[in-house]
Amino acid sequence: MRALCWNGVNDLRVERVPDPTLLGPHDAIIKVKLSSVCGSDLHLIDGYVPTMKPGDVIGHEFLGEVVEKGPEVLRLNRGDRVITVSIIGCGKCWHCQHEEYSLCDNSNPQPAYEEAAYGHCTAGIFGYSHAFGGYAGSHAEYIRVPFADTNCFRVPEGVSDEKAVFVSDAVPTGYMAADMGGIKKGDIVAVWGCGGVGQMAIRSAYLMGAERVIGIDRYPYRLEAAQMKAGAEPLDYTRVDVFDALLAMTGGRGPDVCIDAVGMEADGYDTGIEYWYDRTKQAIGLENDRPAVLRQMIECCRKGGTLSIVGVYGGFIDKFPMGAAMNKALTFRMGQQHGQRYVKRLFEHIEKGELDPSYLLTHKWSLDDGPRGYRMFKEKIDDCMRVVFTP
Amino acid sequence: MTQATVTEARSGTAHSGTTERWIAIMGGTALGLAGLRRGSWALAALGGGLFLAGAAGVPIAEPVARRVREGNLGLGDFGDAAERLPGVAGLLPTAQREPTTTQANVTVAAPPDKLFRHWRNFRNLTELFPHLDAVEVLSDTESRWKAHGPGGVEVVWHSALDKVRENELITWHTLDGAQLPHRGSVMFKPAPGDRGTEVRLTLVYQPPAGAGGRAVSRLFGMAPEQQAREALRRLKRIVEAGELPTIKGQPRGNRGMREVME
Repeated sequence: MRALCWNGVNDLRVERVPDPTLLGPHDAIIKVKLSSVCGSDLHLIDGYVPTMKPGDVIGHEFLGEVVEKGPEVLRLNRGDRVITVSIIGCGKCWHCQHEEYSLCDNSNPQPAYEEAAYGHCTAGIFGYSHAFGGYAGSHAEYIRVPFADTNCFRVPEGVSDEKAVFVSDAVPTGYMAADMGGIKKGDIVAVWGCGGVGQMAIRSAYLMGAERVIGIDRYPYRLEAAQMKAGAEPLDYTRVDVFDALLAMTGGRGPDVCIDAVGMEADGYDTGIEYWYDRTKQAIGLENDRPAVLRQMIECCRKGGTLSIVGVYGGFIDKFPMGAAMNKALTFRMGQQHGQRYVKRLFEHIEKGELDPSYLLTHKWSLDDGPRGYRMFKEKIDDCMRVVFTP
Repeated sequence: MTQATVTEARSGTAHSGTTERWIAIMGGTALGLAGLRRGSWALAALGGGLFLAGAAGVPIAEPVARRVREGNLGLGDFGDAAERLPGVAGLLPTAQREPTTTQANVTVAAPPDKLFRHWRNFRNLTELFPHLDAVEVLSDTESRWKAHGPGGVEVVWHSALDKVRENELITWHTLDGAQLPHRGSVMFKPAPGDRGTEVRLTLVYQPPAGAGGRAVSRLFGMAPEQQAREALRRLKRIVEAGELPTIKGQPRGNRGMREVME
């Protein structure tokens, strides 16, 4: 089959690779119909995640059809149209039993990397480096899904492929960001980053009762989508001082909930010297992640407010304003998405018309155009929100 | 010099402290990233190695040393059994007798009796220890173990059970003539709340000569602490998830395939 393989920093190639086979009794093979790019893939492509190996198939947000299943897959049938949550749960460990699927004890076949770096290992993720298990990703004609009963979900009949595919990752990540914010009636929520996840976080915050949601970005087409599609009040951080603007918009209180949908490669051009400090340290390997958004959130958040972090970080950050965080009594919530917890609810929202992620799909391309698609996504050319490949 | 002080001394030098561990991890991170940025996989690999070295600090070293000092290895009454073993309690000069004590802990979402039964059925142990080929039960207490080293060299030894407390504890030791004399214990204790069972595996190697850890590594291609940790991880995964998740045999790009073949 054809697959999009990582071969080095900024080196993606479409290659012919063997078809996947069932390797465990709980596995299923999915024929991929749609497979989306994700902002977190850019960290791999840019070389900020140190356990990629040449030949790794990337991609983790996909929809397809069950074509083969292991003897212990009971809930699924051949021919089922399914989405698969990007982060793999075994379904049986204490964390999975408590709906913390991304903390699964068992699904990562290569736990040594994470145990070394983080103290414990977390769940395996499709196409997301060997630290997260080294599972082959979804930018391919077929993909093997471990623990398929736990991780695959049938798409309700009335829901189109284009709406459903993002329930793999972007929608549950945004939804969980809002959920972790513990939004109460009257709350004002600020979302940093208006990519796919940020858009979904904005929409989800409204679904959970937010009074107003403010979307922060610097790309006009993303701010426009945040405003027109998700209903946010847009804030272009290259034009205004974010702190001043947020305080002006919240009667001087600051947002009750701040959501980070950006992560380790924050642009932060408005932060000037700070950006270049982090950028330089990151380039020479003294700091993994650029935490411009985090610092700004701590400064802006109202006293006693909540920071909800779903933008991805990998290692260490620098100059973390702990004094502000502590004295302002902020709550930090964070994590990779526990998508399996939310899928049912999300499809209900979609069926009721309360949520429509399909506008994230701005480009539907052949898998053969994979490398070009990622370049466009990364450079944010042609108002690209998400490229989705059709293998 | 007694066994206890030997182990303590080892833990002071051989196992890295918290500071060293962080330096290794941070240095590893920096090197790994620097390697990647420059496209140098050798440098990245070196960074990765340091990364792992940081974690191999064996945080249990000091607690274990303390227990050894206090004559309690966390083996229940097994400490007494150890005293009866020839050569264990410092009968020879330290240079030739360095015991290697290693311990691993894991919590499994299953009741103690299920885990106890799984372990007590020795046939299941070949799944937990990759180098182990077969365990043959000879009597109520004695068994014959067959394993292979990295080069496929066959290693055979006899083992005797010391204590078996239903759903709580199993301890054993190797009989005379074992190439790698050792004793071990596995304890099962209900975890608080609904967390299942805490399992503790302790292995004490008493090689005839030379440094213990290296002898074990030579024989089985895996450091003792890694062996213990891996065994408990496999136990957990088999009992909880019903399989050992793997990526062996999945598709990779051509460059990747070439790399594997080289």
